[in-house]
Amino acid sequence: MTVDTHIVSRIETAIYYSHIDALMTLQPEITGALVSTVDGFEIASRLASGVSAAKLSAMTSSLLALAEAMCAEAASGACRDLVIDAEAGRLLLMELPRRTQNLVLAVQCTNKVTLGQVLWAVRSCREELSRRLEVL
Amino acid sequence: MPREYKLIFTGSMGAGKTTAIAAVSEIEPCRTDVANNDHAGHAKATTTAALDYGEVTLAGGDKLRLYGTPGQSRFDFMWKILGQGSLGVVILVDNSRPDPLADLRDYAHAFGDALAESRAVIGVGRWQKHPAPTIDDYHRAVVGLGYEAPILSVDARRRGDVLMLLDVLFHQIEAAEQRLGASTTAMETP
Repeated sequence: MTVDTHIVSRIETAIYYSHIDALMTLQPEITGALVSTVDGFEIASRLASGVSAAKLSAMTSSLLALAEAMCAEAASGACRDLVIDAEAGRLLLMELPRRTQNLVLAVQCTNKVTLGQVLWAVRSCREELSRRLEVL
Repeated sequence: MPREYKLIFTGSMGAGKTTAIAAVSEIEPCRTDVANNDHAGHAKATTTAALDYGEVTLAGGDKLRLYGTPGQSRFDFMWKILGQGSLGVVILVDNSRPDPLADLRDYAHAFGDALAESRAVIGVGRWQKHPAPTIDDYHRAVVGLGYEAPILSVDARRRGDVLMLLDVLFHQIEAAEQRLGASTTAMETP
């Protein structure tokens, strides 16, 4: 399921694709990336075959919303990133700041790279995206 | 010793699950609201992405832990997660939606175990301004699915209405437990 076209223009969607493609080229251990709305609609995705972008979008939305609620409950301030360390790799979830409404970015990687390397690459991608979106 | 009960509020987007839990919870409810982009589904500004959570303590000290599910089927993984270990289910239906009986069938299917064991109650909202389908129509739909469940007209904003739903659900659960106890005793009797 994808979001209504009025939420994100084709030009903006193309920008997301160019950035997640560049991210995956820069860091080959990143095996998948997804941009979606905070309420779980896919906008742009590069995922391994068999992985459902629609399901991952909804799950990313739920997890980040729950992480935000937990940070509020624990008086820890705004949630920045959510890292899921799994047997065969890691998933990084984070909000993507945007003028009208934040989006979310989810990245899947193998565990052959350190968490720091991936976090640095993904945060750089997010910052670059934010700069591009500001001038749109 | 006081007991704790996990109860689920489910139903379509905008049916009043978050509102119902907030109406009765004695703690500040935990919410996971995010901006809503599905304006075809409902015009409201925000929607629940993971869960709602609230608590009610009964007169005898027993505590109800109330969990609200997201309404949209794309979040159905949360329905399964939240449904685990729950004692009963409140299904809320919004009678102003295009096909509320179809909505009911969707959630009855998802929470069929609770309905089959008579641990469910159905609350129909916005019934005053949208009188069709009628309570009888809902009753026929539930019977058609092979279940039986109490069906009440409710306003999820009213604490009294939500407490009434919980009261009816508790009677259902007690009756189900008594039936289960009776059948277990019968099986144990040589």
